[in-house]
Amino acid sequence: MKILIILLLLIIAGATDAFSQVAVIAHRAVQADTLTQSQLLDYFTGDIKSWADKTPVVVLDLKGQSEIKDSFYKRLGITSSRIKSIWLKKLLLGEGDAPEALKSEDDVVKRVASTPGAIGYVSRSKVNSEVKILRIVEKEKL
Amino acid sequence: MIRFKIAIFITALAICCSPAWSQTTDSDLKMFGYFQVSLTHQKDLPSENAVNSFQVQQLNIFLQKNLTTNWTAFINFEFLNSYSSFRNWGAHNLEEAWVSYRRSNQFKLKLGLQVPPFNNLNEIKNRTPLLPYIIRPLAYESSFNEIIAIEEFVPARAFVQIYGFIPWDKAKVEHAFFIGNSPNINNDPERGQTGVDSTNTFLFGGRLGLRFLNFKAGVSATFDDLDFSFLADTFLADTLNYPLTRLRKVPRIRLGGDFSFNVGKFSGEAEIIRVTYDDDHPDFNVDKEFFYGTLGYSFSEKLFLYGSYWATRENYHPVTDQDIDVFNGGASFALFDSLVLKAQYARVKIANSRQVPHEFDFDYYTLALSVVF
Repeated sequence: MKILIILLLLIIAGATDAFSQVAVIAHRAVQADTLTQSQLLDYFTGDIKSWADKTPVVVLDLKGQSEIKDSFYKRLGITSSRIKSIWLKKLLLGEGDAPEALKSEDDVVKRVASTPGAIGYVSRSKVNSEVKILRIVEKEKL
Repeated sequence: MIRFKIAIFITALAICCSPAWSQTTDSDLKMFGYFQVSLTHQKDLPSENAVNSFQVQQLNIFLQKNLTTNWTAFINFEFLNSYSSFRNWGAHNLEEAWVSYRRSNQFKLKLGLQVPPFNNLNEIKNRTPLLPYIIRPLAYESSFNEIIAIEEFVPARAFVQIYGFIPWDKAKVEHAFFIGNSPNINNDPERGQTGVDSTNTFLFGGRLGLRFLNFKAGVSATFDDLDFSFLADTFLADTLNYPLTRLRKVPRIRLGGDFSFNVGKFSGEAEIIRVTYDDDHPDFNVDKEFFYGTLGYSFSEKLFLYGSYWATRENYHPVTDQDIDVFNGGASFALFDSLVLKAQYARVKIANSRQVPHEFDFDYYTLALSVVF
């Protein structure tokens, strides 16, 4: 009985972890296996536009405001409004387009799985085997 | 005739199949832009004379097309101050027409008419959605062109630019070097083709910067030669006994420094510009200085408040000197991403000295709507 309770607690703890973590995911063909926080910031601000093998980086974002979005950008050391202004500046200077923003985390997983060079972020619990995880970040308390 | 047709066919085939064209086009032609509509209440002090004015302060229309993965073409049409050729209002400019090539982050090339980077604001001075201001810091406010020689403070145009950044641990070293016309552009049809440089000199300039996390700083400089020979027929040449040959090529150096940061909800930016003319005459001095500093606070994702101070010091020895100081504060509120409301108050103090000392102040109250489409 004790073993059963411990197992149950471990499962609940694991599930809680999966919900409290943000996974940075990429298309399976992306050669990188891990990214530093600084590299992530470079990709999500459009400073770096291609992977090491020259495949263009396709950044996918989440639409509107959400806990996971704010938490992810806060972990990168930047606010989502600052990210918006960085991309607006790039757009108006002819340096690049803002990332496509998708409605739901499921949409992000699907699009990353089907788009070579794609990178996005979702709750860890949403990740499936069709994408690869490049980094796990703990959700920031907002 | 047949040989000619074959030659054309082979040439066309060669062009279509050449590596540059065989890379597929990345995008369709994209058209977008922005405009800012404002309402200004200006009150002269102490006379209390006031005027109210609505205007389309700025409208820019961009055309952009990614020609290949690495090449992008970009056109910027600009309309200022409720432009109307029929009513003789405002101005219309072909502000930019360039093609850029991106080899790597360290090396990018931009060819064609462009606004060069200089300090914080020059490159984005007309991108009104990026600025919280309605009236921009003095050296960047095109509507002050009649009060201040704004194109003497900052380079307005360049034609070739090499730029990029070099990663250095967590920091990035930004570099930009550009070449353009000297400022001596002919606008008199009787003196030949208009819109071309009437001298054999160029503008050379650049910016070196360092970006580290949310801090950014840089130094900028330009070097060009001014043709002051139009002064030859004025009293200045006689009074100062200035040789005409010396007036034809007066070296000018602009030096600038900029700094900006974002820390938590606070942000700030400041810059300084010094313009010197190497005229070699102790009694002739048209050197200039400009400074601005802004401190802002983001109350929320939508609301931003700021206070700012701007100053110019312009010499026109031996005629006059002009000092302008502007104290101002404002707010911007984003209704949504592409629609921002702005408000600004500015107290402007202008002081002229030397032969005819004169001082006057005025207040500006402005409201604006900034729209990206």
